[in-house]
Amino acid sequence: MSANTELQWKGYAVHDTKEWDQFKVVDFKPKQFEDKDVDIKIEYCGVCGSDIHTITGGWGDVHLPLITGHEITGHVVRVGPKVTEFKVGDRVGVGAQVGSCYDCKRCKGGSENYCHKAIHTYNSLYPDGTVSQGGYATAIRANEQFVFRIPAELPLEQASPMMCAGITVYSPLKTNGAGPGKSVGVIGIGGLGHFALQFAKALGSDRVVAFSHSENKKDDAFALGATDFVNTGDKNWVKDWSDTLDIILCTVDVSHHIPLSDIFATLKVHGRCIMVALPDDALPGINAFDMTTSGVLLGGSHIGSKAEIVEMLELAVKKGVKSYIQMLPMKEAGKAVQGVKSGKIRYRYVLKVDI
Amino acid sequence: MSSNTELQWKGYAVHDTKLWDEFKVTDFKPKGMEDKDVDIKIEYCGICGSDIHTITGGWGDIILPLIPGHEITGHVVRVGPKVTEFKVGDRVGVGAQVGSCYDCQRCKSGAENYCLKPIHSYNSVYPDGTVSQGGYATAIRLNELFVFPIPDALSLEQASPMLCAGITAYSPLRTNGAGPGKSVGVIGIGGIGHYGLQFAKAMKCDRVVAFSHSENKKADALALGATDFVNTGAKNWVEEWTDTLDIILCTVDVSHHIPLSDIFATLKVHGRCIMLALPDDALPPIQAFSMIASGVLLGGSHIGSKAEIVEMLDLAVREGVKSYIELLPMKEVGKAVQGMKAGKVRYRYVLKVDI
Repeated sequence: MSANTELQWKGYAVHDTKEWDQFKVVDFKPKQFEDKDVDIKIEYCGVCGSDIHTITGGWGDVHLPLITGHEITGHVVRVGPKVTEFKVGDRVGVGAQVGSCYDCKRCKGGSENYCHKAIHTYNSLYPDGTVSQGGYATAIRANEQFVFRIPAELPLEQASPMMCAGITVYSPLKTNGAGPGKSVGVIGIGGLGHFALQFAKALGSDRVVAFSHSENKKDDAFALGATDFVNTGDKNWVKDWSDTLDIILCTVDVSHHIPLSDIFATLKVHGRCIMVALPDDALPGINAFDMTTSGVLLGGSHIGSKAEIVEMLELAVKKGVKSYIQMLPMKEAGKAVQGVKSGKIRYRYVLKVDI
Repeated sequence: MSSNTELQWKGYAVHDTKLWDEFKVTDFKPKGMEDKDVDIKIEYCGICGSDIHTITGGWGDIILPLIPGHEITGHVVRVGPKVTEFKVGDRVGVGAQVGSCYDCQRCKSGAENYCLKPIHSYNSVYPDGTVSQGGYATAIRLNELFVFPIPDALSLEQASPMLCAGITAYSPLRTNGAGPGKSVGVIGIGGIGHYGLQFAKAMKCDRVVAFSHSENKKADALALGATDFVNTGAKNWVEEWTDTLDIILCTVDVSHHIPLSDIFATLKVHGRCIMLALPDDALPPIQAFSMIASGVLLGGSHIGSKAEIVEMLDLAVREGVKSYIELLPMKEVGKAVQGMKAGKVRYRYVLKVDI
C-alpha cells in the first residue's frame, strides 16, 4: 500500500455549456480517500457520445467546471488498505460508473451497474459532496469495484473505448442471447456500432446485419464482421428484411433516422430492439400496434457489470476485437468533441494525457 | 360431414361510427365454404374493448355495416371434408383471428397469431373479397385452425371472454416466464386484468400485485388472487413498489393513467412491461433514460397461439379460473357497448344470441 505523492489532480474542463468545445486545464479535488479506493494515473481517455450530450447541456444541468471522459485507462499508483484486487503498477481501466451503494440487492447480486444510487464518473455527487470528475485528466480515484484489469495483450489505448462503448453493446448482446442460431442487427456504425458488429460476430451469431443510412461505411462494416449490410436510404429495405432478426442494437437517434416501426418490422416473433442511443429528447411516440404485430420488445441497457466487462475483455483478446481509434493529444479535446458531434470520427477519438 | 341448411347468417351490425351504440340486425354472406372450414352456430359472444375501439372509428376506418365480436362460443353444425379436429355437435370457441396464410414460417411453427397476413374475426378482407363479420351474430364460418374445443367442465358463457381477454393475458404471462419465483404486476382490473390476476396466481407466481386507480376494486382483486393491491392514487406508491416486479401486464391507457416511467420504476433489473392496452393514440413519448435505469423492456403481444389457448382452457378448469360476466340478451348490445365504454362492467358483458 504505497502512495504517489506526486500524483497531480487536474484536467481539461468545460466552463460553459454554450462553449462546450472550449476546455481549460483546472485543478480539482478528488473524493476523500477511502479503504477500498484505488488511485489511477491516467494515460488515455476515449471520447464518448455521453461526453458531448453532457457538455452541451443536452442532458440537463451540469456542475461547472466539469471534466468529462469515462473511457479511462492507466496504471494504479495507490491502493487503500482494504483493496484486494489490485496492486501498484497494475494496468487498469475505468468506465462510466465509479461508485454505488454496495449494499442493495442489485449491488450484491452482480448488477451494480443498475444500483439506484450510482455515482457516475463525472457530474455525479458523492455522499461527501464532491462532484465526480472524469478522465480528460491526470488521475482518478475510484472504488475497486469499478476498476477493471486490462489484459496484457490489450494496449491501453485499444482498451479505453471498450470501457464504455464496448461494454454498452456487449452487455445487451449477452443478456439477450446473441450467439449461435441468432441473427443480430446493428443500427448505426459508430463508436458503439463498430464494437457491436465485432462482438456479435465474436459471440458466434449466425448473421450480423449492419444498418447504415448511406453506403459510406459498407466496407468497414464487412471488415468489422458484418455478414450483411443494409443501406436504409434504399426503398424496400424494410420489406427485404422483414422478420429476420432476433436482436437489434440501435445506436442512432430514431427521431432523425429510421422510424421505430420500421425497426420493429425487421424483428422475428418476440424479437427485441435494445435502444443504446440516449438522445436528448424523448423517443418518438410509439403506437402500441407497432409492437403487437410480432410481439416485440423495446429495451434499455446501462453499461455492464464488472463480470461482463472482464468477460468482454477476454473475448476481445481471444477473438481479435479491434477498437478503430484516432489518437489525439489531450489538449486537442476541443477538436475531438467537435468531430464526435459532427459524426466525422471513424469511430472513436482517444485522448492521450499530456499534462 | 353433415350440413345444417337451416343455419342463418345474420347479426347485430353497426351502420355508422357516429352512432356506434345503435345496432340493426343485418343479413350477411359468410366466406365461401372451403375444405378445412367449420360452421358454428353461435350461442354467446363476449364484448371486448377492441369492439368499442373499432365501432367508434377510434382504430381507423371500418367497412360498414359491421358486426363486431370476437369472444365467440357455440356448437359445430358443419365441417368441411378436410376438417380433422371437429365433428358436428362439438362445443367450440373462436377468438380474434379467423384466418392466416398457413404457409409462412410463423404459421408453420405454432405462431399463427403473428402471421403477417392475418384475417381478423371482423373488419378484415378475405382473399375472395368477403369482409369478415364477427360474433354478435347467429353463425360464423372459419378455418379449423382458429377453432378451439371448449372443455366440458367449462360453460360456454364462461369460456367466451377467455377467447380474447383471457388469452391476451395468458400468452404474455407464459412467454415471459410467469411462475414460481416470479412477481407479476397487473395494471387495471377489467376484462383483461381480472384474468391477468387469476392466471398469474394459477401459474403459481410468488406475488400477484394488482394496481388500480382507486380502492373500488380492492376486494375483487384480492378475491381474484392478488397477493397485494396498490392504489395508484396514493402518494409514494412508486417508491414503495420500486424494484419489485419481474413482469407487468398493462391493461390501461397510459396517456391517462400511470406514466410509463412510474411503471418502469417498479420493475426489477431486466424486468418487462407488456402493453396489452391498445389505445387509439400513440403511447406518450418515452425517455430512453427511463428504460436504462433498470435495463427494462416494453413489449407488445397479440392474442395467443392455438396451443396456448388449449393450455389456458385446461389451466382454467384445473385451477378454477372464473370469468366475471354479466349476461345480456344480444338485442341489448347497445346498452352493453355503452357500459363497456364507460368502464362500468365488472368485468365482461357476454351477449346471448336471441335471433
